[in-house]
Amino acid sequence: MSLPARTLPWDWHEGVIPRNAKIDSTAYVETSFSFRFFRSELDDAIEYGRGASTYLGTMFDVGPRGRVRLGDYALVHGARIICDSEITIGEYALISWNVVLMDTYRLPANASERRRELERVPGRDPRIASGDVVARPVRVERNVWIGFDACILPGVTVGEGSVVGARSVVMTDVPPFTIVAGNPARIIRPMSQQEMNGANAQ
Amino acid sequence: MSAGESGKWLGGALPANVRVGMNSVIIGDLAFKRFHSRQPEALCVGANCTMDGVHFDLGDAAQLTIGDYCYFTNAVLLCELEVRIGSYVVVGWNTTIADSDFHPLAPAQRVADAIACSPLGKGRTRPPVVKQPVVIEDDVWIGPNAAILKGVRVGAGAWIEAGSVVTRDVPPGARVLGNPAQIVGEAK
Repeated sequence: MSLPARTLPWDWHEGVIPRNAKIDSTAYVETSFSFRFFRSELDDAIEYGRGASTYLGTMFDVGPRGRVRLGDYALVHGARIICDSEITIGEYALISWNVVLMDTYRLPANASERRRELERVPGRDPRIASGDVVARPVRVERNVWIGFDACILPGVTVGEGSVVGARSVVMTDVPPFTIVAGNPARIIRPMSQQEMNGANAQ
Repeated sequence: MSAGESGKWLGGALPANVRVGMNSVIIGDLAFKRFHSRQPEALCVGANCTMDGVHFDLGDAAQLTIGDYCYFTNAVLLCELEVRIGSYVVVGWNTTIADSDFHPLAPAQRVADAIACSPLGKGRTRPPVVKQPVVIEDDVWIGPNAAILKGVRVGAGAWIEAGSVVTRDVPPGARVLGNPAQIVGEAK
């Protein structure tokens, strides 16, 4: 069901939530500024689950065929979501500030093709670089925790319950219940039984 | 914007020592918040560039030049000496390019610098800080969350993967990634 474009009563930015963003009545969007680069034409371009939230600094840089899913209680505290295919953020995922989730590089890897695309940018409004590049969906599964400044690159799946350390650059899939860190990111260890049980919380 | 019109800043009137080429646009209220250069042509941006949310943080004597058809989103350009960027260069979101270390390495000099920079330091001269020009050649792609540090020359057509911290020269056409950035192959 699509709703009319609407404003947020608490918003500092004079913008609207696009009509093809389906936001559960219990979800929270801090500002419409997050939709400044949103240009998806799909009917179900964005979906916020129950209790999902996006805070200041979160930016949906979503192309015409892009689709973003936020599961129930997903908390996104300022990520750049660069999406031309599909980016899924699972239930209870915790995503920190300045995190980049990208399913596309947007510009061709070949320099002369990139030039041709860059020559088109000044004629666009808004000025967006968006070439014909293959996008590969990104999946952040439920209960994942991603530290600040991390980058999740195209095609990556981060498995359920895993932890991605701050400033990590994740280029390959992360298995479930695993701790990864580093640039490029490496597996530090699978979560121990003690870590799974939360024995260190006392 | 019609052809023949020179470039502009959507946030207001450009500082007098900034030159922006035809059909280029600078977007963002904070673009010149930390622009202090007193060079006669401190910042030169070529034609057909898009500078969206870029911070032009230039010190007293800084000189920054950018070629044509460049596309930068939310980059932070910290320039105390000289940064030269070619044409068809892409800089991703939240990436920093810096040509200085900002503060001295020696602990005693850093004490002096902290005092000089403090509200009590009015008029004190800051100790010298290492500055080395940064050069980014044509057709370079720099991903989001990356950093290009002082003295680095990035060769034409190089591909700097997201999140890379570049501390050494990158040969033309190379693909680098990591912290510190390492060559992992060739840009396609």
